[in-house]
Amino acid sequence: MFTCKDSIHSLLEYVDGELSEEEVQLLKEHLHGCAPCVDFLNMYRATPKLARRALVDEMPGEMAGKLKAFLRGKMAK
Amino acid sequence: MNDAALEDRALLERAQEGDMDAFETLVERHKDRVYGLALRMTRSEADAAEITQDTFFAAYQNLKAFRGEAAFGSWVHRIAANNALMRLRHQRVVEAATEEMLAPEFTDRGSLAEYPEIDWSRRADEKVLDEELGRAIRQATDRLPEGYREVFLLKDVEGMSYEEIAEMMGISVPAVKSRLHRARLALREEIDAFYKEV
Repeated sequence: MFTCKDSIHSLLEYVDGELSEEEVQLLKEHLHGCAPCVDFLNMYRATPKLARRALVDEMPGEMAGKLKAFLRGKMAK
Repeated sequence: MNDAALEDRALLERAQEGDMDAFETLVERHKDRVYGLALRMTRSEADAAEITQDTFFAAYQNLKAFRGEAAFGSWVHRIAANNALMRLRHQRVVEAATEEMLAPEFTDRGSLAEYPEIDWSRRADEKVLDEELGRAIRQATDRLPEGYREVFLLKDVEGMSYEEIAEMMGISVPAVKSRLHRARLALREEIDAFYKEV
């Protein structure tokens, strides 16, 4: 029987579809009786999605100008 | 192939034939993401600027040799990631110890010691990302120790494969997976802490 610790330890492989059938069964049995772990799994899955949305950067204008000038200098040679 | 990738392919073909305006357009289309990746990996605007320059210069020099097996964007991101990793290897940075990484705690019997108070997972799909949350995530990502931050960025943000990341970082695939899992757990804790304070 999986504990919360076993379940959370297996989440990466579970999300990747890499757990064995037996392990999936053990995890699902645990999730069936553990609402906190169901919430945890949802949040574990959501973490990369939120990060992708948050980690969007824009190159500052002045820096972009220097990049353009740098590359034009190289291309002219 | 989506429209953006098709447009890139057309620009790349023109650039390979010597059309430098086409190459400049490719740079314009990809510079922000390349810069962003370099910035998140090195946590230095100056380093990120240099890496971005080096990346597109390398792409320019190797234009004709690039066969287009991967999309242009994937190609330059990989160059940028390698440049950033090389720079990090040459730096000595005082990093947070891995023991300090946030992680869920368990009782002796293996149960979660603290139950999640709120399930904020649906926020990931909301149209607008809360500005404060975005800032908290960026800061939390910057706080990830070296070795973990890069894995998280390359896998979960850039979408590279475990094998690519393992090869680039000189570590095994199991090590990549272990670090990714710990990085995700740490970030999950930080996001959780944010919502508890809101």
